[in-house]
Amino acid sequence: MARFHSLEVVDVRRETRDAVVVTLKPRPEDEGAFDFIQGQYLTFRRDFDGEELRRSYSICAGTDEGCLKVGIKRVDGGAFSTWANENLAAGDTIEAMPPMGKFFVPLDPQSDRHYLGFAGGSGITPVLSIVKTVLAREPKSRFTLVYANRQISSIMFREELEDLKNLYLGRLAVLHVLETEAQEIDLFTGRIDAEKVQALFAHWIDVNSVGTAFICGPEPMMLAIAAALRNHGLADSQIKFELFASGQPGRARAKAVSRVAVEPGSGTEATVTLDGATRTFLMPRQGQSLLDAALAANLDAPYSCKVGVCSTCRCKVVEGEVEMAVNHALEDYEVRAGYVLSCQSFPLSEKLVVSYDE
Amino acid sequence: MSDVMNIDDYLAQGGVLTSPDNVPARYRGELLRLMSSFVDSELAGSAGFAGAINFAPGIKERIAASRITLEKADHAERVLNVMGSFGTDTRRYQTQHDWAARVARDADFGAARTGGDMRLSVFRYPLDGWTDAVAMNVLMGLATGVQLTELTRVSYAPLAEVFREIAPREARHAELGLEGLERIAAADEGRAEARAAVAYWHPRVAATFGVAGSARYGTLARFGLRHTPNETLLARWEGLVAEKLGPLGLN
Repeated sequence: MARFHSLEVVDVRRETRDAVVVTLKPRPEDEGAFDFIQGQYLTFRRDFDGEELRRSYSICAGTDEGCLKVGIKRVDGGAFSTWANENLAAGDTIEAMPPMGKFFVPLDPQSDRHYLGFAGGSGITPVLSIVKTVLAREPKSRFTLVYANRQISSIMFREELEDLKNLYLGRLAVLHVLETEAQEIDLFTGRIDAEKVQALFAHWIDVNSVGTAFICGPEPMMLAIAAALRNHGLADSQIKFELFASGQPGRARAKAVSRVAVEPGSGTEATVTLDGATRTFLMPRQGQSLLDAALAANLDAPYSCKVGVCSTCRCKVVEGEVEMAVNHALEDYEVRAGYVLSCQSFPLSEKLVVSYDE
Repeated sequence: MSDVMNIDDYLAQGGVLTSPDNVPARYRGELLRLMSSFVDSELAGSAGFAGAINFAPGIKERIAASRITLEKADHAERVLNVMGSFGTDTRRYQTQHDWAARVARDADFGAARTGGDMRLSVFRYPLDGWTDAVAMNVLMGLATGVQLTELTRVSYAPLAEVFREIAPREARHAELGLEGLERIAAADEGRAEARAAVAYWHPRVAATFGVAGSARYGTLARFGLRHTPNETLLARWEGLVAEKLGPLGLN
């Protein structure tokens, strides 16, 4: 299981009105663990009012910059991103897991490839890491970036991208598409949808020369672009996705207060939700796991190993209390949020409400 | 950009998920179930073929059987590592079951999963000599080829990538089997033996495609974890079997 390490915050730079770029430094003994590949992300954890929150942010540094940098854009109502934007300062420490993610293709210094990147808003962070690394490490490759934002003032890394264009003359093209600001060319105004991608491919981008396309942004944008790329003959293996942060589940709610446990031996009324359907049945307090009881009640609950190792049968206790006999798969923060392995769970309360859908 | 889309709609429209962090709970359960079935089947397949190495009549066949044994274990490990990113204790997982365990040759439990692990039922039957091992490997290899056309399209990108790496090597296992089967079927005695083995394995491999009109297929399709119904995949496999085994006089 991946472990968290302390990172020192070296610098917090305001990038736009609601985004910061945070530079981080691992402890000397952790440096190897934080070697990253362009396009990877870091998962951070922090306690908010006694509840652990985890959030992943992409690294925006190139692999040759000698440091770790992440871009964090404030999301409305987002506890972590607001905290990072308003409270995080140089000298602080923050906990993170080593870099993860497969949003990259292996580098080949000899190749002369044409990469195409699409970024929406803060989806630029992993793409920027790829742009910088590829241009530095593959001297014959070039990169075309289509970058969507609401308006000029919300564009992250605008100056850095300009500098990169000048540094790698003729090898980096950046097309800015702005949602609410009119530009000289109509095509570059509005949202990136199927029609716009089509027009970009017709007039501005030679999609036939593209070896790999990277897409990171909100879901509708990813769908429209992926469909257009497939229509132009790109195989699935040539299209790399990184889902925008909006896809992350919301703040985990604390476990509901459990009812007073009654004497062992008597039955429990279990209510189980699966695929939006809820079923209530009686089950014994001992001798039968929650999973087996659900299966016996003809619920097609997911499971595999049945020994508390794989976590396929994870569900959430919404009301009541269970005891887990064995847990080799869930982490403490998941357990605190109410998640249990149903194959190892035995009810302690008279009433139990669980969901496989949350 | 603020246009947030419901994750279920996104998946229904062909969207792709990229990390354990952005996977909904129900999706997570089905994804893990799918992965563990693959891992268990590959480990059981590898364990079964390990025994077949000693059935091999010559060095070439021995190398082919060793390679299949090795690579199926490797494929299991690659998918198990994806499970590990969801919290699965990978070290415990691989020692949890006796992957070489088999039932009696004439046991009959259809497609039902029995025993503790999630291997496809076909991997519960024992191999009965070299010709039997080759016939099973060809039929199951062709089935895996068809099933991998589904698996390489799963909506969880890190897993789809692993399957795309695995697919050509699994295809090679089926080719090795076909080469072996051609040699066996060249003589009358071998052909008769191979025909009996094909007759034994054919219904058992067919059962791995699941039932027509499966309810779970609907759930998986909604999540982008399946794209083609069981019956269509089965028909595709039947077509391949006829095409490859027909000329050898084995179908």
